[in-house]
Amino acid sequence: MKTKIILILLIIANGLFAQSVDFSGYVRNYSGMLAGNGNSDFIIQQNTFNLNIEKNLGVSSFKVNPMLYHNNQDSLTLKLREIYLDLNFDNIDIRLGKQQIVWGKADGVFITDIISPKDLYEFLLPDFDEIRIGVIGAKLNYYLGNNTFEFVWLPVFTSTNLPNNNSIWAPQMNFAIPPTFDNSKKEIIPSLENSEIFMKYSALTEIVDFELMGGYMFDDDAVMFSTILPNNLGGMNLTITPEYKRLSVAGGSFSTTLGPFVLRGEGAYYFGKYFNTNNLAVDNGTIKKDYVQYMFGTDFTLFDINISTQFIQKAILDYEEIIQPNNLFNDEYNNMLTFLAKYSMLNETLDLELFTYYDFEFDDALVRPRILYNFSDAINLQFGANIFSGSSGQFGQYNYNDMIYGKVIYSF
Amino acid sequence: MKTLKIMAMLFAVILNNEYYAQKLTGLEIVENVYNRSVGEDMTADLTMTLTNSSGDSRVRKIKQFSKDFGRVEKKIMFFVTPADVKNTSFMNWSYDEEGKDDDQWIYLPALKKTKRISSDSKSDYFMGSDFTYDDLGDRQPKQDNHKLLREENVNGENCFVVESTPKDKDYMYSKTITWIIKDKWIGLKKEFYDEDGELLKILNVDKYENINGFLIITHTEMNNKQNDHKTIMELKNVKINTGIDDGKFTERIMIKGM
Repeated sequence: MKTKIILILLIIANGLFAQSVDFSGYVRNYSGMLAGNGNSDFIIQQNTFNLNIEKNLGVSSFKVNPMLYHNNQDSLTLKLREIYLDLNFDNIDIRLGKQQIVWGKADGVFITDIISPKDLYEFLLPDFDEIRIGVIGAKLNYYLGNNTFEFVWLPVFTSTNLPNNNSIWAPQMNFAIPPTFDNSKKEIIPSLENSEIFMKYSALTEIVDFELMGGYMFDDDAVMFSTILPNNLGGMNLTITPEYKRLSVAGGSFSTTLGPFVLRGEGAYYFGKYFNTNNLAVDNGTIKKDYVQYMFGTDFTLFDINISTQFIQKAILDYEEIIQPNNLFNDEYNNMLTFLAKYSMLNETLDLELFTYYDFEFDDALVRPRILYNFSDAINLQFGANIFSGSSGQFGQYNYNDMIYGKVIYSF
Repeated sequence: MKTLKIMAMLFAVILNNEYYAQKLTGLEIVENVYNRSVGEDMTADLTMTLTNSSGDSRVRKIKQFSKDFGRVEKKIMFFVTPADVKNTSFMNWSYDEEGKDDDQWIYLPALKKTKRISSDSKSDYFMGSDFTYDDLGDRQPKQDNHKLLREENVNGENCFVVESTPKDKDYMYSKTITWIIKDKWIGLKKEFYDEDGELLKILNVDKYENINGFLIITHTEMNNKQNDHKTIMELKNVKINTGIDDGKFTERIMIKGM
């Protein structure tokens, strides 16, 4: 099977080369070693082949982006990250097919950037172009000067991709009693009724860049409805029924400069979002509330170090104590900080970088120092660490997954 | 009669030189350079060759478009090579108004995002080269004090030698000295001195061409004397006044590409 996939790719590539199609991409070796809790296991041994095939035909163009992952146990995974056709007119661009759509001004957090779901096979650690999953649908952009009106229609629902239960990145799920899963309601059948639609107006001006957006969608994360029934042994049976629920969202973002500072902001209001709770007293283990998430951030340079920092707050409106406990909220509000510092030296051949998420409510963090060296224009070497701290929360749950890693990337 | 004509011409040249030597100040000379017309719009392919002290070279290729809209000059650049920055684009809007900062954006294809960036970091080096953003842009003459030092012949060209000292004491250069070709108003050579007054870099213009009646610098070399690193910049396929569409300088084109 593996040989067949490679053969097909080579045949396609060879055929397209003859028609002056543009090829680019990279080959990457990625090795990671667990460093926490006395472990020293090579948890990641991955080779990746990323190929971008693009062809511009004047008023139309296409892109195909297959990625081959060769993992530890000699397993081979082919992911077709994007495959779409572009049609370009005077003031209108139309994109049809599987595509990644990115909205908003925030970095590393997803507030209005909710069209393309996330591939969390390795939590939030992959590069952001690999975290996003392509969505199948149509996007229409209408341009009026520096104003853009964007319409997205997705007839096929794509959910967040969670890691396998045996993965070290499987999220902690603390149920009161061991559950049984009923996946009968998990599927969303592609239909007009089940379509998702999004709209955005954005402008790029001398004073400020901004976006206003709205969406009628399915929450990409399944809601875990629970049912508790007495069993024959006098105990209780817990059944979890994952289900994707409708959600309406309105929001916006902006970016401007104030002297040496770039100021960024983003916010969204989610109408009727379901929250999971482990509290058995809550009906179905879920509660539906309006929800707000927003961010303020700034980028600036200090002593030749590029610094970027963001404050993010999430709030469940009309909060009830009964929502507790879960892994993402232990209060009405959740406050988080991100911090990025980057220093380039040797004519930008060597970069030192530090990226951090810190969650105030759970006192947990993810710290990511990294050294990047451009050995040549084509070869980039990286060495870094992922350090998790805390005992709970979205980062603290991976406290035993501290790791160091190295990457060698050949770009072509 | 012929002798008279030659005498008259010589006299005129002497008078002309006297005029410049006596009348033009350092500021006026630099303003002439700043205001030299390079056409309403320009398209060009830029190649930067970066060479380190060991002789290892890296090459960056860029396609650039610029257009003068009157009060604002807009420029858009598309990175062609190396592979890891391919399809990255950069847009700059530069304003005539004194004190108004440039607006700048960068489109990062891996993130699929256009990001506004601050133009305040003009002392940052452009793509690992020896040119800062400020070196590449048009620094407004009134940001510096200018002093005409002398006149000198460089590579057969008669030049004014002007020393420019920044009014902002925190500026990355303590001073620059520029050799400016008389009448053509082209900076032929420039020395950059660091904050300690030590020579940091030397810029040499190796070639300029008359394209559609405009003098365009097409080959420069910047040598960093302190780390023995150099950058050669070559402009090719230069086209002037082709009537670039106004819509070229928008986010749509940054994302879509050339």
